[in-house]
Amino acid sequence: MKRFDIILLKIFLWEIPIVILYGISLVAFDLEMIAQSNMYAKMWYLFGGGIVFGSWMLVSFLLSIRLMVSTAFREKVLSKITFLKERDERESMLTGRAARNTLLTTLATLLLLFCLSCFQFSLYRVPQEQAVDGKDKVLILNFNFALTEDQQQKNFEQDQDAEKIIAYKGLPLSGSSIILGLICWQIVSYNYLMYRAIKCED
Amino acid sequence: MAKLAGKLKINNRLHVFRAERRLTQEQLAKAVGVTRATVVALEGGGYNPSLELAFRIARYLKTDINNIFFVEEDAE
Repeated sequence: MKRFDIILLKIFLWEIPIVILYGISLVAFDLEMIAQSNMYAKMWYLFGGGIVFGSWMLVSFLLSIRLMVSTAFREKVLSKITFLKERDERESMLTGRAARNTLLTTLATLLLLFCLSCFQFSLYRVPQEQAVDGKDKVLILNFNFALTEDQQQKNFEQDQDAEKIIAYKGLPLSGSSIILGLICWQIVSYNYLMYRAIKCED
Repeated sequence: MAKLAGKLKINNRLHVFRAERRLTQEQLAKAVGVTRATVVALEGGGYNPSLELAFRIARYLKTDINNIFFVEEDAE
């Protein structure tokens, strides 16, 4: 691990409590408001928000790039975060098995998420005068795939007079919450499968 | 020629050799460079060692590898 990486990592870790405190003071004590009248609050607002939070964001960004490009750094940091243990050949084998199963379950989850994000359906009731052969319920199915968020069409063309019964317009989750969910899923899934593999051996 | 495509059940007498030499699982594990959990798994038959580890164990216990590790049908 390079000296630069160690410094980045230390700054990142040391700034976390300050960032948390800053976040709490922003939400719980309405710091932004108090900072306009109180000198100390203004200093904390500028120090916490401007310097610490700003530098923490920058360091986080640099760290994530270093994690992608440096094998040694990635190995050292991510192994600790994911509780990855490979002290001997048996643990390496179990890790391999757990990682393989995690890959497959993650892939299955991604496929499900892909379906949930692309498929759309809507069931609504039209007024009696628009009913065809006495059938007043209309089902619309749609496959909505777009490369960018702007292109994604979330709404169906629906008659203004129609009474909506049920409508599903894709995943209601944001992109960042899905990514965070997948990160947690990877860690939990790997550790659970590793635990099970060890348990089965006993 | 005998068909060898089926799964071989490999067993071992590791606990016997370890007891003869009055070694703890921890001591054996440390000597051959594995964790105690691996020695426990080996003795319980839950894990088959790599060829390298099998040789390391045999060398440490100063015996032939075939004395410690054997295919189940050989024992019958």
